[in-house]
Amino acid sequence: MAAASSSDSDACGAESNEANSKWLDAHYDPMANIHTFSACLALADLHGDGEYKLVVGDLGPGGQQPRLKVLKGPLVMTESPLPALPAAAATFLMEQHEPRTPALALASGPCVYVYKNLRPYFKFSLPQLPPNPLEQDLWNQAKEDRIDPLTLKEMLESIRETAEEPLSIQSLRFLQLELSEMEAFVNQHKSNSIKRQTVITTMTTLKKNLADEDAVSCLVLGTENKELLVLDPEAFTILAKMSLPSVPVFLEVSGQFDVEFRLAAACRNGNIYILRRDSKHPKYCIELSAQPVGLIRVHKVLVVGSTQDSLHGFTHKKLWTVQMPAAILTMNLLEQHSRGLQAVMAGLANGEVRIYRDKALLNVIHTPDAVTSLCFGRYGREDNTLIMTTRGGGLIIKILKRTAVFVEGGSEVGPPPAQAMKLNVPRKTRLYVDQTLREREAGTAMHRAFQTDLYLLRLRAARAYLQALESSLSPLSTTAREPLKLHAVVQGLGPTFKLTLHLQNTSTTRPVLGLLVCFLYNEALYSLPRAFFKVPLLVPGLNYPLETFVESLSNKGISDIIKVLVLREGQSAPLLSAHVNMPGSEGLAAA
Amino acid sequence: MALTVVPSFSVSGVWKRTQFPVSTESQKPRQKKAPEFPILEKQNWLIHLHYIRKDYEACKAVIKEQLQETQGLCEYAIYVQALIFRLEGNIQESLELFQTCAVLSPQSADNLKQVARSLFLLGKHKAAIEVYNEAAKLNQKDWEISHNLGVCYIYLKQFNKAQDQLHNALNLNRHDLTYIMLGKIHLLEGDLDKAIEVYKKAVEFSPENTELLTTLGLLYLQLGIYQKAFEHLGNALTYDPTNYKAILAAGSMMQTHGDFDVALTKYRVVACAVLESPPLWNNIGMCFFGKKKYVAAISCLKRANYLAPFDWKILYNLGLVHLTMQQYASAFHFLSAAINFQPKMGELYMLLAVALTNLEDTENAKRAYAEAVHLDKCNPLVNLNYAVLLYNPGEKKNALAQYQEMEKKVSLLKDNSSLEFDSEMVEMAQKLGAALQVGEALVWTKPVKDPKSKHQTTSTSKPASFQQPLGSNQALGQAMSSAAAYRTLPSGAGGTSQFTKPPSLPLEPEPAVESSPTETSE
Repeated sequence: MAAASSSDSDACGAESNEANSKWLDAHYDPMANIHTFSACLALADLHGDGEYKLVVGDLGPGGQQPRLKVLKGPLVMTESPLPALPAAAATFLMEQHEPRTPALALASGPCVYVYKNLRPYFKFSLPQLPPNPLEQDLWNQAKEDRIDPLTLKEMLESIRETAEEPLSIQSLRFLQLELSEMEAFVNQHKSNSIKRQTVITTMTTLKKNLADEDAVSCLVLGTENKELLVLDPEAFTILAKMSLPSVPVFLEVSGQFDVEFRLAAACRNGNIYILRRDSKHPKYCIELSAQPVGLIRVHKVLVVGSTQDSLHGFTHKKLWTVQMPAAILTMNLLEQHSRGLQAVMAGLANGEVRIYRDKALLNVIHTPDAVTSLCFGRYGREDNTLIMTTRGGGLIIKILKRTAVFVEGGSEVGPPPAQAMKLNVPRKTRLYVDQTLREREAGTAMHRAFQTDLYLLRLRAARAYLQALESSLSPLSTTAREPLKLHAVVQGLGPTFKLTLHLQNTSTTRPVLGLLVCFLYNEALYSLPRAFFKVPLLVPGLNYPLETFVESLSNKGISDIIKVLVLREGQSAPLLSAHVNMPGSEGLAAA
Repeated sequence: MALTVVPSFSVSGVWKRTQFPVSTESQKPRQKKAPEFPILEKQNWLIHLHYIRKDYEACKAVIKEQLQETQGLCEYAIYVQALIFRLEGNIQESLELFQTCAVLSPQSADNLKQVARSLFLLGKHKAAIEVYNEAAKLNQKDWEISHNLGVCYIYLKQFNKAQDQLHNALNLNRHDLTYIMLGKIHLLEGDLDKAIEVYKKAVEFSPENTELLTTLGLLYLQLGIYQKAFEHLGNALTYDPTNYKAILAAGSMMQTHGDFDVALTKYRVVACAVLESPPLWNNIGMCFFGKKKYVAAISCLKRANYLAPFDWKILYNLGLVHLTMQQYASAFHFLSAAINFQPKMGELYMLLAVALTNLEDTENAKRAYAEAVHLDKCNPLVNLNYAVLLYNPGEKKNALAQYQEMEKKVSLLKDNSSLEFDSEMVEMAQKLGAALQVGEALVWTKPVKDPKSKHQTTSTSKPASFQQPLGSNQALGQAMSSAAAYRTLPSGAGGTSQFTKPPSLPLEPEPAVESSPTETSE
């Protein structure tokens, strides 16, 4: 804890103008074992004793052990297993009665579990979706054995091809089956009524009829079948149902249900849909060019984080964009009531938490691990507490100093720091200067000498090339009869090497027959089992590896060249040749 | 209503499924008959959250679990798996999975869109267009389909169809990307004005997009509308003070105006961000050249040349700096290398000729001049330098011809614009005119007023008298002026050289415009 806090305050000091950080480090536990999303964090005075608790819908390591944890101060107060992974947690007031202790709602799978005083209180399940009547009809027929499995399959297929809504899972499973298994499946399942159940993807709260801080709130649920539901806080009946073109991922609500409200839903298709009280369908839509990773409303502005590492501000139209230094992992609202500040916090993949008011950066917090969920509010008896959990399951709690004031600007205005850095211009040596002077004095002579040498070089190259062509010294033969290519590979450390010749007939159609390979080498240094052998017929295009072993006889580490000649039977001039530079033998020569 | 009031619970709040009396009762008798199916979409939300947080490992783990549980029926899990495959570069696999999704729910336009996208990434543009058209039947109001169709048509070089589709997309919903693509089409067709129109609209729509601002600025720069170019580049820099393209472009404009120190400060920002940028080091080198720090200039240019050995503009500048340093042999090598890459530019041959003159190879110098005169259409310096070379050994007649050619060019230039000629060039031309006894030709009606604007590099070298053969420094002065004039010509070689570069030039990250030898002006 101590180590982390010191490094953290250093980093913050560099970021903010003041010498010390705006934050007090209250708690850091890298082994807290909390793995969750911002949506599953909630702060509330669950017992009505003025002591705010932290509610965590914990997915557990690897999403394997879903638990509901309630933390008081740095300690886990209660912990209870959940039947399924929690998608969202929210606290809300259910009724007007005293004592006004908020209830806790936890969305998980198709249900919302409601706790009061941390005791299970309600379980709300999403209503079943109506099955496709045609599909229902088919299964009814199957139940009465009026349809054989094959026809059933065909009919179901045709429904799947055309119908808007998907089939029930029972039908989908059936369509996957082999012919032999169908009968048994139908018999086993025909008596079941077909069902379609959806699940909750996101949840938030909406004030019922008063704007007060402690007013009764409704739960707003987003479901996998592209709907939004508003639940009555007391009876848990569905007050309103709205449909969306895509599956909602994040919700942001303002207003009161009975008066007027605005609902923004960021969806999986990368769009944000805005709904009003009287609309069953979205009023309008903001299209992002990337997936949203967070949606926060600050006053009238919707702040969206996108997968393109940027924050966007929208009202009806795009207001601004800020580029982040790394991918955004999570976002939440920072609301400091005492100073009337609302800002957006974004946890980034590079271990920073950045706080923005509109597009102005207010503060950067450096954390030892990337923050994956965060929330800000009253915790314990402290008003401005920031709670963060990290990718590795750590828990960080920071308290905003009472004297701290967020000021815009800081590091962002003015020229970038790189501007003050010196250019790294390569230095020149004394030798370079001397040579420059020499060139000035004798430039003409140098130029002439160079040109002469260049001509000579070209002449020699041309001569050597001509000679190589005339004596077939190159490993490529382009004669019309035997277009061949040869390359040699030597393997091994010695004293025995493997020499592999790759011989290829590069003509398109004609095979080559009657070739010989001959090795020329210093017999004092190397011995080969066969220095001369016949090459099999070469089919055009194929690569023929011809292997032979070479034994190095010298124990003094001398190496030499082995010449490989490819000859045509009855001709003494080689078709092509290769010089193989043998490596020195690294093994001990045979004594 | 599925309201379930749970009367009695253990105090600790332990919540197991069997503790719900209602559900237990309903489950038990059924379980004997048939097993309950898990809900297909149970963990879609989790998959999605992991996906958008780019936590692909966790995402894959959930997908695997979900697919096992549902026996491969969970469409969204397959969909995201395919997206991840595509991000990882396994496009063929992603295509197959998207096709599976399309089979699972044939009515979804989104699946078809993704199939088409993968086809597009595989380079199968025609097939992609077909699938997009299928998707468009299912969802007619999707800008993305229209946009991507447009992009496919661009790759198929069917620009008219591409334009239609992109306009379609803009009508449905405006996105920066669509504007960029539309602008690109106009650029590919070589229609700068239309491209500017498109980018103007785009900037209106999204005034903080630095890419749009920079591109628009660069286009104005190409057209020589410097005021607007600077305005847009400046805006881009306000929003993103480290924008590489904008800084280079703005810096090169500053260099043109001689603000080398300001330009250098700007370049420092880029030098930190993009260490190995050839145009950057080229421009830095030319800044030092302007500040008469020749050794530093050569160092920077050599670094640029090391980073981009095939860029003739850097070689051109290296040649120029070496001429200034009187290292003619080196200059010759750089210039001849530049000519190998860019054989169609008169100025290069002229500089080569200057180098050759100083290397006392008059024959080849003449040849180089001849080539330069042959290629160049509007730079009077080429002819002037040639005339001087011819005059010195006494070929007065040919010199006169060149001189007249130069006068033609000068008057042509003066008709077209009101730019000022370099004072030294004017002086030299007048001397030559006197020597050739052509009379005081009245082409130079506008003598240079401001002596300060003279080119400082040449101040060390004033020819003593004209009758003497041209000193090396004199020739150099000519070269320098040529470089200066090179920029200020409105529709001169500078412009064309930019246009002749490979097609999609102005939109590529390579800031080709600013790396042009404009910076050679001191």
